[in-house]
Amino acid sequence: MPGDILQGFLQAVQPSTLTATALGSLLGIVFGMIPGMTISSGIIIVLPLTFVLDPDISIALLLGLYVGGMLGGSFSAILLNIPGTPSAAATALDGHPLVARGEAGRALGVSVLASFAGGLFSCLCLFLIAPSLADIALGFRAPDLFSLVFLGLTIICSFAAQSWVKGLLSALIGLAIVTVGQDPIMGNARFTFGDPNLLSGVNFLTALIGLFAIPQLIRNLGASPGGTMASATAPTIPFKSLLPELSDLRRIRLPVSIGAAVGSFLGMLPGAGGPIAAFISYDYARKTARDPEEFGQGAVEGIAAPESANNAVTGGALIPMMTLGIPGDPVTAILIGALLVHGLAPGPLLFIERPDFAYGVIFSFFWANIFNLVIAFAGLRLLVKLLAAPRAILMPIIAILCVVGAYALRNSLFDVHVMLFFGILGLGMRWLEMPVVPLLLALVLGRQLEENLRIALTGSQGDISVFFTSPFSMLFLGLSVVSIAWSILSAQRERPKSSPAS
Amino acid sequence: MARRNIIAGAVLLVMSIGYGILTADLPNRSLPDTPGPAFLPTLITISLLVLSVGLLVGGMVEARRESEDADGYGIPVLGWIALAGFSVYIALLPYLGFVAASALFFAGLMWLYGERNKLVIGLTSILVPVVLFYLFTAGFQILLPRGPL
Repeated sequence: MPGDILQGFLQAVQPSTLTATALGSLLGIVFGMIPGMTISSGIIIVLPLTFVLDPDISIALLLGLYVGGMLGGSFSAILLNIPGTPSAAATALDGHPLVARGEAGRALGVSVLASFAGGLFSCLCLFLIAPSLADIALGFRAPDLFSLVFLGLTIICSFAAQSWVKGLLSALIGLAIVTVGQDPIMGNARFTFGDPNLLSGVNFLTALIGLFAIPQLIRNLGASPGGTMASATAPTIPFKSLLPELSDLRRIRLPVSIGAAVGSFLGMLPGAGGPIAAFISYDYARKTARDPEEFGQGAVEGIAAPESANNAVTGGALIPMMTLGIPGDPVTAILIGALLVHGLAPGPLLFIERPDFAYGVIFSFFWANIFNLVIAFAGLRLLVKLLAAPRAILMPIIAILCVVGAYALRNSLFDVHVMLFFGILGLGMRWLEMPVVPLLLALVLGRQLEENLRIALTGSQGDISVFFTSPFSMLFLGLSVVSIAWSILSAQRERPKSSPAS
Repeated sequence: MARRNIIAGAVLLVMSIGYGILTADLPNRSLPDTPGPAFLPTLITISLLVLSVGLLVGGMVEARRESEDADGYGIPVLGWIALAGFSVYIALLPYLGFVAASALFFAGLMWLYGERNKLVIGLTSILVPVVLFYLFTAGFQILLPRGPL
């Protein structure tokens, strides 16, 4: 075990891996901070590279992007009052008032430090919890794995949807798409219409590009024509003003700790994600603050808590992804996809078969947080100038890279058509106010769900009681029931509030 | 919201019926007492049918209460043009090759995004596809379509 940890550390400090991590952080910060762009856009740009790079370098690049994107999102939230990522919405509440008071440097400095602390704490959680959880998960049999995947899907649906019915429908569409191709047990061709391109099914990375990038390109066309990505201009920030004062450091100790704990915990729940963690931490920080009335007026605690939380979510989300193969959000789903392209299946066996790689991922995550801090402090003055990037060049580049990304997966134009199909599907779903995240995650989890369901039922000769005799399976199914009931109750509670408006 | 729920429910109902018909053609069972290739698709069909009917009926009930729909997600006219351009671009890729097809598409998108300087459009739309082509083919061994050029 210590040998594996050392191997992992050495893998993460290879110059090529470190460079990829730093580049990922930089790209993540840039894409996170430019309004109208998302972490997914950044990933689409680097996706073709991940197919040809070594898996450790690919993952380091994507991890850097993931972590950097979270921080970048808060820069535009603070400077322009436009959250670059949904997770940064809570940061804008106190970040932008500070900018309005001429204290942009102070707000950004606190946000960078809090993000760093949150990220580092979640990295520690990942390091300590992931191997133990993987050990437990090794004992899971097919019924347990089916119930676990089922739980993952129900949690995702309940969190991702305004309407739980639409969330479940979205996941079912995803599951229906997964059934296209060869069936995983018998190898029968299903829904292929005789087309050999469909035999291997739909690759979810292709689907992801279409579902996320094309609607984003179209939405950006609806914005005012021409101009830059951000309509407002960011202020000039002297380097010295970025360094937080001792009094601020004292004030943010507790909010940062709250954010780190809440973010790491919620990150482990598939679908909960950054926005929920950020707002819960913000609320706790306000309740525990000496001057709660300062919140919303530019309190540094109001920046520190959500920033710490949304970066802590990243490490938390990597725990179920690495140990159970369950993604919590589109980015961790992409990480799974990137690993699968290289023949590495995330799950408990990753820690047994490739412990050096598994620990390497954890150390790369650590370095991503370090690079975030360094790049943010050293390059912030230059980075804010990117807010003036011309939309008319950036968006067409992304459009072309969507095609390259879809094509590069199998050198096939068929996948480019599939990408366009998913783009149109994504637009249609958005128009019908259906969430797309459950569909995407069903694409990732669907095959596991079917495989384990059929293996379990074959083993029990069709007896479904096999799912109710294993304690793990019972636990996961029980939690699934709680998750579905909770989302139905929340929807009913929301209804009286929303009905007068509608 | 109600109108869109009715449309979503109706579309999904039709889709689930179609999916169900295709599922009925699949071999149902390979060995006695074991689920075959049609097992999961059958479960999906039933769930889709139930939930889409639920959404449709819920939307209809809601529509009676609501006077008019609130504004939701809309696709701008330029968006439709871009989408059509995307389809044409993908269709032309094997014939024109990556560089030529991408240059045309790039120029069109730049114009749609509001760029009106012809020199900037011309230079950027040629330069970017050429750089990307050589980056991916020479740098990363990804064989992008070459076309006749």
